[in-house]
Amino acid sequence: MATVKLKNIYKNFDETEVLFDINLEINDKEFVVFVGPSGCGKTTLLRIISGLEEATSGSVIIDDKDVSNAPPVERGIAMVFQSYALYPHLSVFENIAFPLRVAKVNEKELEEKVFKAADILQLRDRLDFKPGQLSGGQRQRVAIGRSIVRDPKVFLFDEPLSNLDAALRGDMRVELAKLHQNLKTTMIYVTHDQIEAMTMADKIVVLRDGVIEQVGSPMDLYHNPKTKFVAGFIGQPNMNFLKTTDTEIKNKRLVANIGDLTLDLAVDVSSTTAGDEIDVGIRPEDLGVSASKAGVQMSVDVVEHIGATVILHGSVLGNSNFCAVVPSDSTIKPGETVNLIFDFSKCHAFNSSGQALKKTNKQI
Amino acid sequence: MKQFIELFKPKTKSQTTTMFAWALIAPAALVMFWIVLWPLYETFRLSFTNSNLGTLMGGADFVGWENYEKAIGGRKFPAIVTRTFYWMFLSVSFKMILGLIGATLLASNIRGRGIMRALVMPPWIVPIAIGCFGWVWLYNGHFGLLSNFVEMVGITDGPFSFLAYKQSAFYSAVVTDVWIGTPMVTLFFLAAMQGVPKDLYEAAYVDGASRWYRFRRITLPQIMPTIVSMALLSAIWTFNSFEIIWILTEGGPRGATTTLIIDTFKTAIFSYKFGAGATRAVLVVLILGVFSVIYLTVLGRLTKKYNYGGVQK
Repeated sequence: MATVKLKNIYKNFDETEVLFDINLEINDKEFVVFVGPSGCGKTTLLRIISGLEEATSGSVIIDDKDVSNAPPVERGIAMVFQSYALYPHLSVFENIAFPLRVAKVNEKELEEKVFKAADILQLRDRLDFKPGQLSGGQRQRVAIGRSIVRDPKVFLFDEPLSNLDAALRGDMRVELAKLHQNLKTTMIYVTHDQIEAMTMADKIVVLRDGVIEQVGSPMDLYHNPKTKFVAGFIGQPNMNFLKTTDTEIKNKRLVANIGDLTLDLAVDVSSTTAGDEIDVGIRPEDLGVSASKAGVQMSVDVVEHIGATVILHGSVLGNSNFCAVVPSDSTIKPGETVNLIFDFSKCHAFNSSGQALKKTNKQI
Repeated sequence: MKQFIELFKPKTKSQTTTMFAWALIAPAALVMFWIVLWPLYETFRLSFTNSNLGTLMGGADFVGWENYEKAIGGRKFPAIVTRTFYWMFLSVSFKMILGLIGATLLASNIRGRGIMRALVMPPWIVPIAIGCFGWVWLYNGHFGLLSNFVEMVGITDGPFSFLAYKQSAFYSAVVTDVWIGTPMVTLFFLAAMQGVPKDLYEAAYVDGASRWYRFRRITLPQIMPTIVSMALLSAIWTFNSFEIIWILTEGGPRGATTTLIIDTFKTAIFSYKFGAGATRAVLVVLILGVFSVIYLTVLGRLTKKYNYGGVQK
């Protein structure tokens, strides 16, 4: 049961700046996911929390105790590695028991703890196996078992599901969520997969180039992205962006012109002047197909049927990577043209430096 | 004749493939036969004869097991065999221990690691004969560095010729053999250590395992297959090590450094007793044969035990 605070964390590898002024508070029992593209510094940040890596400056505070210079074992953390890091020459039992053997726990208590962990993770009948004899998902569970037996205050996961196939990944996601509910422990989870982040997190931390881009609940990030990067990163399929050809400001509202399309957006315009180039973002699932000739024309190149919905790929107003999600009963075929309806209230606007213009909720 | 050729003509496609395979192997097989099988057979044959300088011109006689009885029943033979095994045990143990220590140091993250890795190599790269002559000088009583050093430190009170006394000659030969043999062992161990995935150490470190604990429970078991195979290979090579002892002492003084292989050479070449020498050679082959069987069995078992099934990359 612990809180984690990061204060002004900087990290350089030689000349390269990897993390830049990271400040973050993680509450007790929270499931926090660090997400971002590869090379954004998320794994480095996790390793700094674990103590495997030392921050160039700044402090790591776990449970109100500054542990910046403490070795990992004194921080009360347990880590699950991307490669599982199981000891191939030891049985599953010994792998799970390893931290307890290091801590010189007596044999009876050790056995109890290993069996308990094995029961939680359904590994009871695999204890005599070697890691090489296990499937990917079972190996993953052994790695988790090894971290459970230590009763850590904070669990750290470094892309734990990236070596599993898609179906198994889905199952493990659910298992991890259950585990979090059972153990009620603070968990920090690193992934590059935004679906993992969206489905498991209480709080998502989006990192980009060593900087925290935005922190918030999954739905908060989905509905109110603060930057164009977050908007594009969260949500599947990705948000569509259209560049304005001209902008006007009327009644403290932004009127964005994209070719023939005119959008009247209720956003904060205090830092915008008429004529500024604005990126308008709209999620594929927020688009509707018009029955009449109204709306914006989309020429469809590819149609993906994924069961519940149909995803259309094509071009709209010069953006050839445009994407729309329509109901599954749609009969649109590649090569056809459809008319899309834009819901103004669901459009996002980003200025030229990628910052979102705040929605003002003023209805028309 | 035509029938004979018919007999060897391929009848099916798989036969053609087999014939082709044999044709490809044939040249190598012939050479192997010429330089390995035939001499081996000749040695076996010789070991049952009284072949010597006198019989070179005209037929040596078949003497049955006489050479074997004489060799094994000989006065010096038990001492030579004991000495050979002692020599092997001592030398291999030191090579393994020093190799492990060296590899561990070289694997650690220290400044100038690259240069140190290169500096380990010379004993192994320098031709054995040259290295040995260097040691002959070092061991020399009158102008040798070592003699001068032990005198200066006060261990001896005058020139000491290391290779002139039974005890010191034997251990001096061991030192030289270890010096020459350690670099290769070190580099093999180093390579094996570098093959151990880094995150195993990190996982253990997170769990609070000390350096020694990590070495004992991760490094050692992970490189065990390499340790065992190096130990057994090194045992075979050391058992058969000839040139080092020969250059240093020629098996002397008074037989103090005569191992089985030196004895074989001395009997066959220096005493011109080809038959008796061949007998000793056959005995060496038998002993090493046993070693090879052990080697292959143990290695097979280890590979099975450490068969990870691709759990790590």
